[in-house]
Amino acid sequence: MTGPGRWRAIAVAAAMAGALPAAAPAAPRMAAPAARADEGWRAEFEDICAKTQDAMALSAEELRSLVERSDALLPILERLPEPERKVFTKRLQACRNLYAFVLETKEKR
Amino acid sequence: MNRRLPGAALALAFAFSAFAAGEPGGMKKRRPLPHEYGRVVIDNGSTAAKLPPVVFEHWAHRGKFTCRLCHVDIGFGMSPGSTRIKAADNMAGYYCGACHDRKRKFDGGTVFEACQKMPAGFPPRDTCYRCHSYGKDVKPMDDFASVTRNLPRGRFGNGVDWEKAEQDGLIKPVDFLEGISIKRQSFTAQKDFALSPKVESMPEIVFSHAKHTVWNGCELCHPEIFVGVKKGTTKYTMVDIFEGKYCGVCHVNVAFPMTDCQRCHVKAVR
Repeated sequence: MTGPGRWRAIAVAAAMAGALPAAAPAAPRMAAPAARADEGWRAEFEDICAKTQDAMALSAEELRSLVERSDALLPILERLPEPERKVFTKRLQACRNLYAFVLETKEKR
Repeated sequence: MNRRLPGAALALAFAFSAFAAGEPGGMKKRRPLPHEYGRVVIDNGSTAAKLPPVVFEHWAHRGKFTCRLCHVDIGFGMSPGSTRIKAADNMAGYYCGACHDRKRKFDGGTVFEACQKMPAGFPPRDTCYRCHSYGKDVKPMDDFASVTRNLPRGRFGNGVDWEKAEQDGLIKPVDFLEGISIKRQSFTAQKDFALSPKVESMPEIVFSHAKHTVWNGCELCHPEIFVGVKKGTTKYTMVDIFEGKYCGVCHVNVAFPMTDCQRCHVKAVR
C-alpha cells in the first residue's frame, strides 16, 4: 500500500489498538447507537463511504486510494462484536466494490 | 404494425407464464393482492421463540424511505432471510431497531420499539404482535387503503405508481437517518440509455439512471447486481430476470412487476 491510504491505515490501526484490546471479554455486545460515534474506525469508515455518490467524478488515483483504505479497514471491522461486524463489513464492502467497479470502468475507457 | 410483433409478444407471454406458474407440482402461483405485494415473511428465530414469524410490508415503508436507506445504510439484504436478523440485533439498534427504538421521531410521532428483552417464561406482549403477525388477525398500524388512497394508480404490484408519486412530490422518501447514514454531497446521475431487446421487434428498453438513483443510489446496484463496466457487458435474458436476477432482484417482488411490460419497453418499435 502506498500514498495517503497507508498513513490513514496506520492511524486507524493505532486508534483501534486502544479501542479494541486483545482481551476484552466485557466488551458491550449491544452498544447503543450513540455510543458508537466515538470509535476510531467509525470516522475512517464514514470518510471512505461518504464519496460513493461522487464515485464517477473521482480520479483513478482517488479511487485507488479509497479501495486501499477500504482494504486496510476491513480486517479492523472484522474484529468488531456482532452485530456491528456484520453491518459495517457489509456496508464497507459495498463502498469498496463500487469504487473498484468505477476504477475498472475508467481504466477500460 | 410489424408482423413479427405478435410472435415476440407471444414468446414473452410464454416466458412469463412459465415462471408465473412455476409452483411445484404444476400448481399455478396466485398473484398477490395489491396489499400483499412486496410482503416478506421473516422467521429466523421467531418460531423457535414460540412467536409467529414477522410480516414486513414494503408498502408501509417505501413511501417514507428510499430503498438505499434500508438496503445500504441499515444493511438489509436484498433477498428474504439473507440478513439473518435477530431480536438482539434490533435491541442493539441495528436493522429494524435502527428506527424502531421508541426514541426516533417520525411523522410527528415516536417510532415504536422493535424488540424488548423479556424475562424468561414471560408471555409475549401485545406489542410483539405488531410485527410477529404471521397467521394472526392483527390490526395493522398503517392501513393499506388509507396509505395509498391519494397516490397515483399503477396497473400491477401494489396498484400504486410509486415512481410518479415521488416525481409529483406526493411522497418524499427520506434518504438520511441521523446516527446511521453518512453525510454525502449531492450527485449528478449518470445518463439514461437504451437497451436493445434480444427478441426482434420488441420495443426498446429505456433505462433511466436518474429514476433509479433517486431510490437506490449507486452501490445498491453496482457491482453486486450489475457487474458489467460497459453497456452490454452484463448479459442477461428475460428468463434470468423472471428468476429474480438483475432487474428481477427488485422488479419481481417489490418494485413494479415484470407483467408491466411497457414500463421498461417504452421506445416505439422501429
